Amino acid sequence: MSDELVIARGVRKGYGAGERRVEVLRGLDLAVERGEMLAVVGPSGVGKSTLLHLIGLLDRPDAGELLVFGSDTSRLSVEERARWRNRRIGFVFQFHALLPEFTLEENVAMPLLIAGEPRRTALAAAAELIASVGLDHRRGHFPDELSGGEQQRGAVARALVASPELLLADEPTGNLDAANAEILFGAFEELHLSRGLTSVIVTHNEALASRCGRTLRLSGADVEVACSRT
Amino acid sequence: MGRGVSVLGFLAGRYLLGLGRRTHVAAVSAISFGAMALGAAALVLTLALLEGFQATIRAQLAEAGVHAELRPRAGRVLPGGDWIAQLRARHPELEVRASSGGAVWCLGGDGAVPAELEAVDTMSRVEVNRVLAARLGIGAGSELTIASPKLVLTPLGPMPMRRRVVVDAVSPMRPDDDRAVVLVPTRIGAALLDLGAPRTVALRAKDPAQAWRVASVVQAEIPKGVEVVSFAELNRPLLAALTLERVMIGFGVALVMAVAALNLLCNLALLAAEKRADVALLTAIGLPASRVRRLFILLGLGVGALGGVLGTLLGGAGAWILDRTHALPLPRGVFIVSHVPFRVTPGAVALVLGVSIAAALLASLAPARAASRRDVLEGLRYE
Repeated sequence: MSDELVIARGVRKGYGAGERRVEVLRGLDLAVERGEMLAVVGPSGVGKSTLLHLIGLLDRPDAGELLVFGSDTSRLSVEERARWRNRRIGFVFQFHALLPEFTLEENVAMPLLIAGEPRRTALAAAAELIASVGLDHRRGHFPDELSGGEQQRGAVARALVASPELLLADEPTGNLDAANAEILFGAFEELHLSRGLTSVIVTHNEALASRCGRTLRLSGADVEVACSRT
Repeated sequence: MGRGVSVLGFLAGRYLLGLGRRTHVAAVSAISFGAMALGAAALVLTLALLEGFQATIRAQLAEAGVHAELRPRAGRVLPGGDWIAQLRARHPELEVRASSGGAVWCLGGDGAVPAELEAVDTMSRVEVNRVLAARLGIGAGSELTIASPKLVLTPLGPMPMRRRVVVDAVSPMRPDDDRAVVLVPTRIGAALLDLGAPRTVALRAKDPAQAWRVASVVQAEIPKGVEVVSFAELNRPLLAALTLERVMIGFGVALVMAVAALNLLCNLALLAAEKRADVALLTAIGLPASRVRRLFILLGLGVGALGGVLGTLLGGAGAWILDRTHALPLPRGVFIVSHVPFRVTPGAVALVLGVSIAAALLASLAPARAASRRDVLEGLRYE
């Protein structure tokens, strides 16, 4: 099995049409190794989130080749993409961390419920993950009863409940104060190591990015990719 | 399928119940639910009312009218022989009346009216129907003079033959029959008219509930040249009018369901817009678009079908109470019943439930399709 979980070759992606078209990614080449923790940084609008969406099978490249888990993503059916997002990829987003009508425990269990796991099994797995992010006492609370930091930690627990191989986080600390950002990132680091994850984290926080194994810097220039190992 | 439905049921149930303090979604759903319930209740009550009146009319038809008639086929007369007597012997559950007759004038207390005389072989008394009784102002025990077209020579010259009789009873009549009829024994009829062979044989079941079966019971036993006219055929115009009335009024009231379904459609579209971020998140974590579509159809069916069931129960219960308590009285003498009758039938219940489910399903399709096609990334960016 290849050690590279994600391989991008000449990936291009743009939005709009005609004169209003904006090219966001222009021939991106990238490889993410299994077990790696990659930070993606750069100014707004250079395609950090776009890259994450492409890797996370939420979007398709306009051109180029993108392999995830060794498979060409252009050949995956809609159902396969949904199944992989459910089982093999965990997501943490900046907004909408949790579904408001469901308790923290139910939110965390949701990927397993979607996968068809029995409710009891899913809730038991959720409880375990919730405890691992330090929110055991908040299991039965609804999202609006949780702080922003707690909601994001809940989102991390949900992202990992189905034991994915790849964790994708889109500015997970973007809405948090420094203290909560530190707690959340600490949880990321610990779970990344303990679960043998491959993580790609988009962030504006250079200090947190520097704690990742490698940083991918995107810019608006033609040659966009600058990788540095820290 | 079962697993898919279980998580979709979980999601739909929670959205409808409005836990997590997102009560406006539940409130909007409750409005749609109430509208569907009201529509279903209105439809059940209307169908029960129509069925109540129509069942009364059908029962009166069976009570008062002939249940089947044996007539000569076109251009023929009823055959002779003892087949009528045999029919009578084989079917003691039926009243078999061979009759003939013609036009006469009847003279009573209020003047004279043209009438039809029917000489019935099994009758031993004189009856008039309600039309004749009303026109002449007579009743049981009244004297009646029947004048025939046959002339007799009198000292004053040729005069119509007359026969004075005492009315023994006033017979019921079909609701749509406005003929004036006098029924007499054959010997009286023969004295007034040249009767000849019977013109028709009327059949009546002693149990009026069997009216609809009489024609089929005797069908195989009648001689050639005789046709059986069934109860339904005898009353075709009235029964067709009743059916048309039920269809048109039912259709009109079903429009209430259509309005309720449009309300459901609007509310589901609102819900789909409100939940765009949630749907995007669910899609991102692996819920396929096909199941998003099913989720919204389930929401629509949850509101529509449950509203329909509740409305059907309320409408059915309301109809039962109104019928049992005679809560809506009618003026005596104007209507044939003393109160507004309601009758809920299994067919009406099935129809209303079917209409509810179909309306909810149709109302759900467009919002479900829109929700499943919405751009996931746009939903995730939506703040």
